[in-house]
Amino acid sequence: MPPLHRSFGLVAMLVLLALWALLPLALPRHFLDMTNFAAILGVGGLGVALLLGQCGIVNIGQAAFYGCGAYASAYCTTTLGWPAAAGIGLGALISAVLAAAIGYPILRLGGFFLALATLAVGSIAGVLFFEWDWLTGGTLGIGGIPKLSLLGWSLNTPERYHYFVWVVLALALWLAHNLVNGRPGLAMRAMRDAAPAAEVMAIDMHRLKTAMFVICAVLGSLAGSLFAHYVSFVSVQSFTVERSMLFLLVPVIAGAHSVGGVVLGALFVALVPEWLSALGDFHQVVFGLVLVLVVTLFPAGLMGLAGGLLERVGRGRSTR
Amino acid sequence: MSAAPPRLALQGIAHSFGGLHVLRNVGIEVPAGGLVGLIGPNGSGKTTCFNIVSGFLRPRAGRVLLDGSEISACSVQQRSRAGLVRTFQAPKVFERMTVLENLMVGEHKSTRTGVIEAMFGTRRARAELAACRERAERCAERFGLQALLATPAGLLPAGQRRVVELARACIGEPRVLLLDEPSSGLNSEEIEVLRRWIAELNRGGLTVFLVSHDMGLMTVCDTVHVLYFGEVIAAGSLEHVQADARVREAYLGV
Repeated sequence: MPPLHRSFGLVAMLVLLALWALLPLALPRHFLDMTNFAAILGVGGLGVALLLGQCGIVNIGQAAFYGCGAYASAYCTTTLGWPAAAGIGLGALISAVLAAAIGYPILRLGGFFLALATLAVGSIAGVLFFEWDWLTGGTLGIGGIPKLSLLGWSLNTPERYHYFVWVVLALALWLAHNLVNGRPGLAMRAMRDAAPAAEVMAIDMHRLKTAMFVICAVLGSLAGSLFAHYVSFVSVQSFTVERSMLFLLVPVIAGAHSVGGVVLGALFVALVPEWLSALGDFHQVVFGLVLVLVVTLFPAGLMGLAGGLLERVGRGRSTR
Repeated sequence: MSAAPPRLALQGIAHSFGGLHVLRNVGIEVPAGGLVGLIGPNGSGKTTCFNIVSGFLRPRAGRVLLDGSEISACSVQQRSRAGLVRTFQAPKVFERMTVLENLMVGEHKSTRTGVIEAMFGTRRARAELAACRERAERCAERFGLQALLATPAGLLPAGQRRVVELARACIGEPRVLLLDEPSSGLNSEEIEVLRRWIAELNRGGLTVFLVSHDMGLMTVCDTVHVLYFGEVIAAGSLEHVQADARVREAYLGV
């Protein structure tokens, strides 16, 4: 990494850390709600980002696993009276098993066909969440989900949840960073760039894709559990294909190849529609336009734009 | 005492696409440490033959043997793990990865770190990656790529891409290197460099099976097989096959 990038990265990290620590003191609660939701979206979006950026797989079905996690947490804690950790763990386990069972056959597909298959997974899950009202409460949903608590400290306010959920996202990002920069990451990118050559290098592509699909599902499930315990209520409206699209937008906006960019993408997807809501009925249209502009003008995403600017600054300095 | 089996053997290979017979009873042997060429005009079945050897195609009939063991039913990955590594007619480098990363991927089969281990960045995973990087750097030095380590492979010109692909194939120390039209897209100087590389790798003990339609590149081979309309019509030294009447007819129409 060039020294300029390294020093800029360090300064940016410290500034962000200070901002993160001070944010609950400076911002109103409804804004914290949005940033907490951004972190939840970031956890689920990270899975989609790993698939898209590292493996070249478009996943439009993340809401299925998001729903699994949310309902597992809701059902286990309210109906069965289990501790929250058990619900989160069970949701992740169910999602992992489902992802392996679904991923194994569908990951033999590629390109648009695979994207459509994931869309179908999301749609079927949406229908099942609606129909299995004995488990999910259908449109009435499940309420009274207990807040998470950590060593006796209840995470019952947006401020407290802020300190928890962003640490969870940071941990997930750290794990993803290690993965991408390790042996499996090299194999994934090789597979994405030239599949036949990757096969010749003895990379078991199907197994690797399935493993990544499982990781993506577990992250989706974790995001669902975090969401359920934060809002204390879940219903089918939160697990539609529209939510899958939001997860997909996270890496698309940020730039699919950047793991850290997930934070930027998640903040964009969570905050921009909220800010635009002041425009009334037109805000969805304007958000759509903003999206089109971002993906058209910055095909490498916001992280690509930031990287390009840094490079330009670096070149300017070296020619001076 | 029976003689050692050839390193690579094709026995009675036949293949067809629909009603079109592209290979008929092809038999080729590549001895250990040998440098064998397969030449033929466009459409003679060279690439189909190569795809069958490397596992991308299953033949309709015949067997592929590596050191006497049949590998006809093995996948591309299994063949690669057994030591059979190929390159492609259009060099398939990992374009968005650096030259160093390309070479590190070449060591995939000799490393073991799994997904979970990599995620938690265990000491073993880090040590294995560091060793892999070191070997890749040494390999880059050997192939004259040390100045390009941080360059994305997609930005390299055709000749250098070919060298990266060759280095990536060799880093895992294969038993047989299959080179598919390695001179395609290269100028005469680059072909000469490539010819020297192939000869040097072979002198180092590497068994090479080379497919090309370029007679000039074939001068590097010990034995040349000529494929014409799916059949081997001549085999022997380059001088021998050049003098063969059927080869002259196939190539020159005389």
